[in-house]
Amino acid sequence: MSENKQFNKNSLVDSKNAASLTRRRLLAAMAATAAGAAFAKGDEKDSGVELNDASPRIAENSRAIRHWDITTDVLVAGSGAAGISAAIDAARAGAKVLVVEKLNKLGGSSAMSGGVIYAGGGTALQKALGYEDSVEDMYHYIAESGRKHPHLDKIQVYCEESVAHFDWLLANGVPYKEEFSASKGLAFNEAGLYYSGSEEAWPWRDRFKPVPRGHVPWEKGHQGGRKLMEALIASANALGVKSMKRVSAERLVLEDDGRVVGMIADVQGKRTRIRARRGVVLACGGFIHNREMVRLYAPELYDCSVPWANAGDLGIGIRMGMGAGAAALRMDQGFAIGPIYPPENTIAGIAVNENAQRFTTEEGYHAVMGNDVTYKHNGVAYFICDKTSDRPAGSDGQPLIAEADTIAELEQKAGFPEGSLQMTVDYYNRHARKGQDPMFHKSKKYLSAIDKPPFKVYDLSVDRAQYSSHTFGGLQTLPNSQVVNIWGDAIPGLYAAGRTTSGLPTSPYIASGISVGDCTFFGRKAGQSAAADKS
Amino acid sequence: MVGERILKKFLFSGWLTGLTTALMMLASTPSAMGEQLADYRGDIDRGRLVFGQCRTCHYPEKIIGHHNGPNLHAIFGKVAGKQPGFDYYSETFKAAEFVWTPELLFVWLADVEAMFPDTTMMSLGVPDPQQRADLIAYLQLFK
Repeated sequence: MSENKQFNKNSLVDSKNAASLTRRRLLAAMAATAAGAAFAKGDEKDSGVELNDASPRIAENSRAIRHWDITTDVLVAGSGAAGISAAIDAARAGAKVLVVEKLNKLGGSSAMSGGVIYAGGGTALQKALGYEDSVEDMYHYIAESGRKHPHLDKIQVYCEESVAHFDWLLANGVPYKEEFSASKGLAFNEAGLYYSGSEEAWPWRDRFKPVPRGHVPWEKGHQGGRKLMEALIASANALGVKSMKRVSAERLVLEDDGRVVGMIADVQGKRTRIRARRGVVLACGGFIHNREMVRLYAPELYDCSVPWANAGDLGIGIRMGMGAGAAALRMDQGFAIGPIYPPENTIAGIAVNENAQRFTTEEGYHAVMGNDVTYKHNGVAYFICDKTSDRPAGSDGQPLIAEADTIAELEQKAGFPEGSLQMTVDYYNRHARKGQDPMFHKSKKYLSAIDKPPFKVYDLSVDRAQYSSHTFGGLQTLPNSQVVNIWGDAIPGLYAAGRTTSGLPTSPYIASGISVGDCTFFGRKAGQSAAADKS
Repeated sequence: MVGERILKKFLFSGWLTGLTTALMMLASTPSAMGEQLADYRGDIDRGRLVFGQCRTCHYPEKIIGHHNGPNLHAIFGKVAGKQPGFDYYSETFKAAEFVWTPELLFVWLADVEAMFPDTTMMSLGVPDPQQRADLIAYLQLFK
């Protein structure tokens, strides 16, 4: 194991010590530049900066603010899981909190999601259902299954505090049914726990002890996100958190030394200055609905057919942070899926690239295959099946390209190179009949020869299939959710969480619940840190 | 915008209901940009992917039922905001008395907040008129 993947119990970054002596000097210079720009060009309407373009939103100097329209202790931009979790913990710490939301409904993309939280290390639900887990096992799975060089400091604190975080969700009224679901993927049932990643698939099952860590709010169907956010919003309301809807954040306000002290926002057409005495939390989601920004920063995701998020995912928080000097990391990474299951019979089929070669196990988590297709195979892939592994009638997420009674004919109709699909299927069938899969070790229950006509090819390509995508790149933050600038120093008064940041989710996305889990966990850190920031 | 204001006045005035009336009004009701559905030829396959983003909350397949938003099977011809089993309509749609038509959806999705400011739909619509026509052509399959 490489050194950076060692589990280290003593290496948590202390953000309070992370700021160097040079920080304020550099920030001061930056703020002066930003102020100069603001003074030279006036307000945003005069500067020619379009609200929906992909450029960073230059921060405004506080000297340009003659009066504040609204004053609060902690200002949270965005009302998804990150923003509301921040608001809850900031309010609990005694801060006066205001949440502003661009849309007319609170909840963000989290409320539209399955609401899965990836939690482990022996949560109350895992224990109640008889599953043993450890912080170390959870850490290794997250740290070593995704993209290289993840944010290990964040992963570590996330795993160490996961049991307590799940208790926090329970304490905030999020309900979970004590029932395990063995189905592949998020099921249309009420079960509270399932394998939400690739834990049972090869090679992960050989490298990490498989444990179910997908915690799903008690709700029939896929509306767990709505249930999660209903509970968290109710909790925030009970704590006195104020919220304003249809407020569009525009730019941060900085003092001469670089400290963030507020925000300029559009409140139903009126330019409004909101002062935050202790800190601003950016929790505005990602940027998948800002198509120009996706084209510039995440070109592979640009080709994916379906933006999968709340309409507010416009990159506003990321650009505001960049405008204040924040570093933005891993902006090209994201979630991209064109699921071949459910139903599970389809897992017996095979996914191939444009040369009819298999490239991953079909039983892995959707986004693992999606990552291969999107980032490694130029967005092109196909699903090959026979009568028993065919897709359900009436599903149109992946268009049918060709159908034939022999593999040779199918290959010719679909336009694969001569002999290529025949070779792949012959090889696959020869081993599948013996219950083996030498390339990807698909589980025996999903292995059967592809030999019962009619044979079919469906298009799994990112621009032809229903290919759902959203972004993972965002602002650099410390484990306490304080935003870091391009010189590596913490920005005083500025915090961020969720998909506005570069957090635990990477490409490949390794399990459902990593993203909303990251949102809730580091949202809380942002709220706690901002509430404690009285400098 | 004038067209939308007139349309809203009628849609929520409480004395006009019914498919015929809505269609009569919409025959001369362009979107804010002056676009009319009749000027576009919808493509079902393109519409399949345009509608893909709506599947975060809506399914057109009857068997799946309601999700975060109401089910959209055979939506054209139904009175807005009245489907049994869906408890999350905004006050705007609870009070609505109009019937969904392709023309009305075309106008609404041009700018959802301009037409129904109190909507709780977590989408800002489909600004491109051709894409709206494609989406509508796809939805019309489900009836």
